[in-house]
Amino acid sequence: MVIKLSGGKLYDPAHKIDGQVTDLYIVDDKISKTAPANKKIDHSYAIDDCIVMAGAIDMHTHIGGGKVNIARTMMLEDQHAHPDARSGKFRSGNGHIVPSTFSTGYRYAEMGYTACFEPAVLPVNARQAHMEMADTPMIDKGGYVLLGNDDFLLRMIQQGASQTAVNDYVAWLLDATQCIGVKVVNPGGIHAFKYNQRRLDVDEISPSGVTPRKILTVLSKAVHDLGIPHPLHVHASNLGIPGNFESTLSTMTAAEGLPIHLTHIQFHSYGTEGDHKFSSAACQIAEAINNQPNITADVGQIMFGQTITASGDTMMQYFGHEHANPKKWTIMDIECEAGCGVIPFKYRDKSFVNALQWAIGLEIFIQVNDPWRVLLTTDHPNGAPFTSYPHLIKLLMNRSFRNDVLSAIHPEAQQISNLASMEREYSLYEIAIMTRAAPAKILGLTDHGHLGDGAKANITIYRKQDDIEQMFTKPIMVFKNGELVVENGKVTKTVQGITHVVKPEFDRSIEKPLKKYFDDYQTIAFNNFRISSDEMAECIGGEIQIHPCKLN
Amino acid sequence: MQFNDVTCPHCGLLCDDLTVEVNDLSVQLKNNNHPLCKQAFEDASFNSGQIPSPLVNGSPATLQQALDAAAQLLKNSKQPLISGMIGDIQTCRDAVALTEKVGGVVDHANGSGIRINTSVMQRMGEVRTTLAEVRNRADCVVIFGAGVLENFPRLYERILTPAQSLGNDATKNKKIFLLDRLDKNEIPSIKNKGAITYFQLEAPSLDSIAHKLLEVINKPIEIFDEIDDTLQILIDLHQTILNSQYTTFIWAAGEFKSDIAEHTVQTMTQMIKQLMEKVRCVGLPLGGSRAEVTANQVATWQTGVSLPVAFMSGAPIHNPILFDGMKMLQNKEADTLVWITTYNSNDNPPETDIPTIVIGHPKMKCANDVDVFIPTGIPGIDHRGLACRTDNVATLPLKSIRTSQLASANDVISQLSQLL
Repeated sequence: MVIKLSGGKLYDPAHKIDGQVTDLYIVDDKISKTAPANKKIDHSYAIDDCIVMAGAIDMHTHIGGGKVNIARTMMLEDQHAHPDARSGKFRSGNGHIVPSTFSTGYRYAEMGYTACFEPAVLPVNARQAHMEMADTPMIDKGGYVLLGNDDFLLRMIQQGASQTAVNDYVAWLLDATQCIGVKVVNPGGIHAFKYNQRRLDVDEISPSGVTPRKILTVLSKAVHDLGIPHPLHVHASNLGIPGNFESTLSTMTAAEGLPIHLTHIQFHSYGTEGDHKFSSAACQIAEAINNQPNITADVGQIMFGQTITASGDTMMQYFGHEHANPKKWTIMDIECEAGCGVIPFKYRDKSFVNALQWAIGLEIFIQVNDPWRVLLTTDHPNGAPFTSYPHLIKLLMNRSFRNDVLSAIHPEAQQISNLASMEREYSLYEIAIMTRAAPAKILGLTDHGHLGDGAKANITIYRKQDDIEQMFTKPIMVFKNGELVVENGKVTKTVQGITHVVKPEFDRSIEKPLKKYFDDYQTIAFNNFRISSDEMAECIGGEIQIHPCKLN
Repeated sequence: MQFNDVTCPHCGLLCDDLTVEVNDLSVQLKNNNHPLCKQAFEDASFNSGQIPSPLVNGSPATLQQALDAAAQLLKNSKQPLISGMIGDIQTCRDAVALTEKVGGVVDHANGSGIRINTSVMQRMGEVRTTLAEVRNRADCVVIFGAGVLENFPRLYERILTPAQSLGNDATKNKKIFLLDRLDKNEIPSIKNKGAITYFQLEAPSLDSIAHKLLEVINKPIEIFDEIDDTLQILIDLHQTILNSQYTTFIWAAGEFKSDIAEHTVQTMTQMIKQLMEKVRCVGLPLGGSRAEVTANQVATWQTGVSLPVAFMSGAPIHNPILFDGMKMLQNKEADTLVWITTYNSNDNPPETDIPTIVIGHPKMKCANDVDVFIPTGIPGIDHRGLACRTDNVATLPLKSIRTSQLASANDVISQLSQLL
């Protein structure tokens, strides 16, 4: 099958193409810049006045695993308020804040997204996370396995295990859970909460006998040594606490210059100045990112309205439970690995704190100079549902729109924020970086996120519109692996994405102490814990693609 | 042939350390002598040549004939109910898809049991833990109802009295309190469980014990006019909890009085959340012994809502009052029943006079009494599969350990869907 897309304006930052009108060919499931020899063109689309980008990639979105099902259960009213009736071959579903799996896949595809990554896969819950993602059609998927609060690793560090042994454990766990990256959430803090500790700072010794800094240093080195493309994905300490920017800066230094990715950094950029003892530290955080090239971040922008927060960070979720809206909250300790906290939340523009949170996120976007290192997320659903991305893009690209919204938020938040004076407006090229090229680059997806020869034909085409939010809400065409799957913002064909994984090499001798640990303490047999690739395909429903690692 | 690390799907604990011997079509559990567990595996055994064929109105039929008959019943149906839902993940996935396709209602055989914890989760959230946390972290365990230990046979051995623990002596040698009412018949097996302090309290019900404990937790002692033995035990227990590092409340909603069980589970959650202001305290609601957790998890992620789910409007709707499967049958609100049950030959559909299709366990007792019976293999015996554990977190693999020629339930359901 050969498809020609002629006359579109390409935004392909991986190849430094910034709005150049270029014809593009889809040959089977791949992109070609030139017409293939000796093959007839099966379909040709004239897309003059259209904007062409690679399929978008959400590198941090909670779309699979037990916490999402808890959130769905707790948000019944929202589920019913947003029904998706079965239509022909499309499955039914519901929900806006935490949609059902089929609805999640359709909504992402309709916005031009072709890959999404679940950032908090608990090892013991990995099968369920993958099953939910397997039932999420249209998009490719992947997961980051949670480490850094598991008793096995904490004991290793506390007992002075070698870095090599830690590396072997990390690699073994990635293989066993079929994940593409490693995430640490409030290092040591979830574990400490099980001992009734309610706060843990970066250099404080936790009940496990180690500091969060040590956990970060060891894990960022393991990820680096193993050559895992995605740097250690870090949900830093003290989420949501006024003054937490200092521990965020400490977290950055804990990587000792090795690459780390700080996620939903908006929630970690708070100062204590002013009458309310709550202020923006976006400037300090942005400056630190600008000055440390080893650091990437995604923002976790909040949007005003109802949502639900779902996080592994039981310690800080418990801290925040008093703000639950509606008044209900769930906390779980999980299997000597981690935990989860699920709390509904309503961000209000007339609340000083919420309004300032909104401004802080935008301040970070605007003050981080390099769009390759600040990615567009709302930490779905924690800051807002993923369907708010087009609105967020408009806030970034249109200063007058941004200032209009700013003028309606809590007056003291307006005064305290520097946002009104910030002139920067993101360009389409920069949006293409932060939603396509950059996530593909930091995940190691070499054939995604760009429009070069040989790339997977994941392509999103927007009709140029004055209203950028409308434009990004409804692409006129989306191709997934070369198939036209969305037309005029509606899914027209269902496809099944694959699961991206890495499998760094490791010394199998780590299985001996692991087996003993499972025999002595765990409630699942060692041999049943690992998810094999054929189990992924046969039982879970997620065919895998392995991405290479280059051992350092 | 002997298989190790076999998962047992016959109670919500999903113990996966079993050794099972398979000879031709006979299946025998080798390393666990609990009668409930042994019997469950024996139920899967056949003699050679006993593999049943599908039945249409009690007469042998080919699989295709049975599927055609089932499809015809569903085509004629205006309000089908898909229930049972006692199967592995893939069976439940395909059953939800079938329900959606026919615009029916899907519920679990024990839907009313699922609802108790779900409704509390919907209303106020919960504080929960998982089996390994209890095994390694808990130094104090409070069990509500002696039946918990009977219905989850290896809870005591595997979780409450571990040979080793990640914590300290207190987490290895846990303080275990069992609360129940005085007039409940003594359960002999508890006498063998030496680590348990068994309080049989003067109280009208187990529920009232929970409500009284909440009172003790919430109120200063001075407020009680008279402190009788029961109250004193609860006051002392409260003090023990406050002095412990990690207390786990264990209950099974089925142990509570059915008409007030939801209120009692809410009370459990209130107690835990109240105690959390000072100390660590968590709940471990036990259930899932008929694969309730598996069915509910699949329904929740695929439809966005918990069981029961109705698809009449095309979009999934959860309404536990309108679409309670068992009540729909009683009230004659369903006109065709598809009953799916794969693990146990005794899990018969409720008595009903509406057309009934049973897809499931090859030795189903009801096979001759229903309109269509399609025998299937047993997940974890004849087919690979996955099952969700009681704590809603762990998913365990079910192995294929026998070659039987029986189609899997999910294949049968999928084929049935394609005929509609």
